[in-house]
Amino acid sequence: MEDNSNKTDEMVFGEIIGMRDEIGEIQEAIADFEVGKKLNVAIIAGLFGGKTTLIKEIEKLNLSRATKITFSEIVRNKKEISLSGDTKRVVLLDNCHFLYVRKPGGFDIFYEFLDMISSQNRIFITTWNIYSWKYLKEVFELEKYFPVQIVVPAFSEEHLKQLIFNRYEEGEIIFNNGGESDEEPVAYITEYPIELSAIGKKISIPILKINIHYLKKYLLSEKKEKKEGKEKTAEHRVFERIHLESKGNPGVALRIWKLALDYPHIKLEDVGNFSYDIELEQEEAFVLNLILSYQGLKKSDIVDIIGSMLKTDEVLFQLLNQELVFEDENDSFRVRPEALHSVITYLEKLRLVW
Amino acid sequence: MVDGNSVNTTREQLLETIKSIETQTLVNIILAFFVAYIFARIITALLSKLSEKMSRSGRIKVKMVIPAVKFGIYIVAFYYFLTELLNIFGPELFLLTGLIGAAVGFGLKDLFADFVGGVIITFEKPYQVGDKISIGNYYGEVTDIGLRATKLVTPDDNTVTAPNSLIFNEAIASGNYGASEMMIVIDLYIASESDVKAAMKILRETVVTSKYVYISRTSPVILLHKSLPFYTRLRAKAYVNDLRDEFEFESDVHTRAWTEFGKNGIRAPQLHILNIPQIGEESELRTTRRKNDRSNGRHGRDSDFNAGSQKNS
Repeated sequence: MEDNSNKTDEMVFGEIIGMRDEIGEIQEAIADFEVGKKLNVAIIAGLFGGKTTLIKEIEKLNLSRATKITFSEIVRNKKEISLSGDTKRVVLLDNCHFLYVRKPGGFDIFYEFLDMISSQNRIFITTWNIYSWKYLKEVFELEKYFPVQIVVPAFSEEHLKQLIFNRYEEGEIIFNNGGESDEEPVAYITEYPIELSAIGKKISIPILKINIHYLKKYLLSEKKEKKEGKEKTAEHRVFERIHLESKGNPGVALRIWKLALDYPHIKLEDVGNFSYDIELEQEEAFVLNLILSYQGLKKSDIVDIIGSMLKTDEVLFQLLNQELVFEDENDSFRVRPEALHSVITYLEKLRLVW
Repeated sequence: MVDGNSVNTTREQLLETIKSIETQTLVNIILAFFVAYIFARIITALLSKLSEKMSRSGRIKVKMVIPAVKFGIYIVAFYYFLTELLNIFGPELFLLTGLIGAAVGFGLKDLFADFVGGVIITFEKPYQVGDKISIGNYYGEVTDIGLRATKLVTPDDNTVTAPNSLIFNEAIASGNYGASEMMIVIDLYIASESDVKAAMKILRETVVTSKYVYISRTSPVILLHKSLPFYTRLRAKAYVNDLRDEFEFESDVHTRAWTEFGKNGIRAPQLHILNIPQIGEESELRTTRRKNDRSNGRHGRDSDFNAGSQKNS
């Protein structure tokens, strides 16, 4: 049997989970625009936070009146952001953090973009990486151009479960080897991850939890249901761990799930507890900050920003060596999902992100 | 008037009491100060090490605690010393305080002033460990505030030991005052005919994209422009994220700004504007002066004046 999760990727990400309030707010801004009130929208989220999923949903809901442009790398040509005459009145711009380069002379496209969104009779719904957004907000007061700002919320445990289960048939995944031999405890110790930006480390604290889920089943159910109850509580504990570890970030949760899954089995002890001991030099931390803020950066872009091929090679080697980043199929360097929270904590310590 | 016999008797009593001090008591007092010293050193080292592992703001906060902890330890040791002293001398203590007063008045007054300065620095905090300060003729990062002196590390990595009593006579400037960010003023001079708007834009972008910059609503980047007769001064006021990177920040801005200025045809002020001959012109000028000297038969000083006046005319 094979893990058929990849086949259903499109379907899963096509279906919006949660975020009903956020969709409502955006639709309201579009409706206001139709009656003459222009409220540009900024959708802000962390890496793997689900902003692209949200904007795709907005596109689906406004197919007849929206034009969508997705930026997948740093924009260097003004033509890429210029809108043709047949562009619809609702403009969806995905990944707007690619509109600037963090170097002198690297903001011309960005100035053009600000001019466009403030002067044209269109509503602009844009998505931003949260760290780029915060940086541009401090430097250019970007929030003034976007009266509606939507920060994509973290997923609840239930939503994460739904996101992951949508990829499988019912009963396809077996928790704790089918729950045959594993006894469910009445109380258990769970590792609670805490990010201490004062020391730049992510640590885990053991916390005693009462297995309410199991107790409910055990006390209230018939004998036949008790066995099912065992598996249900194992499932609950797996998702509880994934939720704690990912902090409700869907991309990170999926990665943790994939790493733990021994298809079709998944065991609680296989759900990783990811903590990275990061020690970087100034330049390395700065490049890591760039990769985090842009979501993905090509080597040529990094060379362009820091101005040295030799230094870039050295820095990337360090970041790859410490398993903080990886190179994807588009030759972009990205932060590893499982290292994301450790990276953020470390960069917060250095005040490179805030 | 004090009776001479009674003074003699008291003196003898004091001498008797001093003679009666047991070696054990003396050893205990010395040991108490020694233990306090070692303990203070250990605590300082541990806190310093801990602070270096912390975030930039955390580092300063932990270091702020160090002088207070040290003083606490020494106060405990001093209290022990006083108790022992009271046990030994009892009512004759006032004679000893007179002796101490005389010692402070003559030989140890500077030491005493330093100690009082240390107490004031610890509690009033005109500066803290981790601050970048200017005191007297020195500038550097405060690495230690002791009972007697404050240690600074200068940008050239010299350790300066400044007596704490300096705070009574000298003005102290603290660049960051407990914060880990610090304002840096960066001046760049460009030729008057350069495009100032373009230069200001480049300078701003250079500052805000620096890896060393710290930007927030309370710590904004400010750009100033001043036109002077022969050149234009551009001034950027921005905060460096970690005060230890003060000079790296300045250097980073200079390097990248001038690279960008070069690409945009923005030049540095030309030397001839300041009446300083450029390389190449200098030797030519000297030859002309010599020729003038010979033809006029004057001394060098006059010919200098001549050359100047000719140029001016």
